Amino acid sequence: MIARRTLLTLGAGGLALLAGCGPRRTEKRTDRIRFWVAPNEAEEGFWKIAVARWNALGRGLPVDFTTIPTAGSSEDTVLSALVAGTEPDLCSNIFSGFAVQLAALGQVENLAAMPGYDALVARRNMGAILAGWTQNGQVSALPIYSSPTLLWWRADLLEKHGFSAPPRTYDEVYAFCDRYGVARQRYGMQVVSGRWWADRWFDFISFYYAASGGRPYLEGARALYDNAAGQQAAGFMDRMFRRGWTAMDFDAEEPLVSGLAAGAVRGPWDVERFARIYPDTLARIEVGPIVARAAGEGVGATFSDSKGLVIFKSSRVARPAFDFLAWVLGEEDLNLLWLQRTGLSPARGDLLQNPRFARYYRSNPIGRAYADHVVNAKPPALSEHTIDIQKIMTTKLVEPLMGGQLSPADALAEAVAQTNRMLAVQA
Amino acid sequence: MRRGADASRHRALSREAVIGLSLALAYLVFAAIFWAYPFFWLARLSVTQWRFFDEPVFTGGRNLLLTVQDPQFQQAMWNVLRFLAFYLPIAFGGALLVAFGLQHVGRGKTFVALCFLLSNVSSGVAVSLVFTKIFSSTGPLNAWLFGWIGVRVPWTTHPTLAMLAIALVVAWKFVGYYGLILYSGLLTIPREIYDAATLDHARPLTRLFRVTLPMINPQLMMVLVFAILVSFGLFTEPFLITGGGPADSTATPQMMIYETAFRRLQPSHAATMSILVSLASYLLVLAARRLFERKVVIA
Repeated sequence: MIARRTLLTLGAGGLALLAGCGPRRTEKRTDRIRFWVAPNEAEEGFWKIAVARWNALGRGLPVDFTTIPTAGSSEDTVLSALVAGTEPDLCSNIFSGFAVQLAALGQVENLAAMPGYDALVARRNMGAILAGWTQNGQVSALPIYSSPTLLWWRADLLEKHGFSAPPRTYDEVYAFCDRYGVARQRYGMQVVSGRWWADRWFDFISFYYAASGGRPYLEGARALYDNAAGQQAAGFMDRMFRRGWTAMDFDAEEPLVSGLAAGAVRGPWDVERFARIYPDTLARIEVGPIVARAAGEGVGATFSDSKGLVIFKSSRVARPAFDFLAWVLGEEDLNLLWLQRTGLSPARGDLLQNPRFARYYRSNPIGRAYADHVVNAKPPALSEHTIDIQKIMTTKLVEPLMGGQLSPADALAEAVAQTNRMLAVQA
Repeated sequence: MRRGADASRHRALSREAVIGLSLALAYLVFAAIFWAYPFFWLARLSVTQWRFFDEPVFTGGRNLLLTVQDPQFQQAMWNVLRFLAFYLPIAFGGALLVAFGLQHVGRGKTFVALCFLLSNVSSGVAVSLVFTKIFSSTGPLNAWLFGWIGVRVPWTTHPTLAMLAIALVVAWKFVGYYGLILYSGLLTIPREIYDAATLDHARPLTRLFRVTLPMINPQLMMVLVFAILVSFGLFTEPFLITGGGPADSTATPQMMIYETAFRRLQPSHAATMSILVSLASYLLVLAARRLFERKVVIA
């Protein structure tokens, strides 16, 4: 009898456990906008103020925000939430390639079709920036910030070796490295950012954009970078490695601090990191453009590391969510607050012309250098195969250049051919 | 009378079985939820096309065909064998040293054993980050080598050395644990066998290969099986230290599965990979046991 009762109890418990594991989609609320923001202190601080202001204004549905509940990457968490049906209405911290993947899966709204979209684009002066976020007339994510990549140089080391300003061309970099470099001990510049696929944004793609004036490296299912600009960028990387002016990796330490390397590609997010950990080094940093074969007139092109906001298709408050989005992105006060809180330039084309932002940039020369490049900073190619494209770029182009196994021309041809084959198979 | 006794024994057995079953039920429910259900779901996914949000569409053997023809997956499976080629000698050599070393520790044996276990319980992420710095081309190890013999070793940028570096990191994590397993085996060998071997003028190496190693065969097999399972489950160390490079030379099946499912958003393809990986690991364990397992009987 006891056994039977135990069996029944355990059976009931097991069934309850099984029932708990079943799919249970959260009923979407219509009286609030649920919003996930990037899990970092600076952005969270901004959203706290912005959301409080919106809720106090009473102009639309109130917003509830939390940080993306992630221990790893935001993409994994968003994906898991979508599968489990627990995704919010609105989410920030989405990179353009992931937005395209979500759009291909029919999970996000086309924001270009929302009423008020054109007015927002005009108010925020983001027409030129949005070109890189539009695919077949569809905008899956709206960029909140645009972080161009630029080259940081140790001004004191440049000066000591006869350079009064950061190098702008390959030849100037070679000349500096020739004076500064000591074989296998000290290097002119960090050329390769790392071995992860995303690191290509901060080396080859940045160099390619600078060399090509911002021309795309991918169009539809075709890679385009086996051209003159690709040859120049790959040739530069190859020469730096062959002459021993850069190391295979700089994983052991921040090379700019010790002077292990005098220059490195860095983003505006590094300003806050350096201010916190290496304030003395930051005081000695001068920011220059991404180098190219010849220094052009005006501001050069570079890569833009941007994150955007998406509205999920499952939302029952998509229109009110877009109203909130348009308000946050369109308000200059909030854009300035974003800039002050995060140090990341809002994705708008008038940062240096608009007097609201001028004072911030007057007192912040590094921030100004980044703001200068926002209009000419290009996001990654809009493709749902971003990872494969950049993995091929890593294994077939950058790694052979590092090891000297292939000439720049052969490596480019191999990388482009393999990318095209992969895209054809995926298609 | 006899029939009555049988019936009574049958009732008693039934009661025993019911109690046993009820005790095992928690595990059975656990296995059903966390093993059987995912496995059947994987099996279903592997013969369908599914991208998280649509209904799975039956595609038969298409995923299998794609997976076995995928050069990246083939490379990842080959990398498991390359890893084992480095890992097994390092792990067994290190574990035997730990086990023999422990035999000679007098006081504080528990403390020493616990110290060896610390590396095993430390976070794989933290360990990988530390070793990334140590193995860097501009890191402390290379700085020392350069100062000493004037060379820098491309630990993480040369295909073969990168795999060796991964094997060293993983071995550092597991050698203490394996050593304790082997040490438990050494404790079971009767002293008299060594005395007899000494009387027969057996030298130390002969005693090692003819007495010690055969006598701890069950423990050696256990370590071998664990090592094979570790090699097929490898993720954190190559993901963080080499990113799978250079030229995919340290990419592992687990990395492929993760990237295919959650980065390329192709869970059906990843499901097929995971089934193939489990099958391969099972077959390798089976082969290892057939080849090396011996029954040890102490009379």
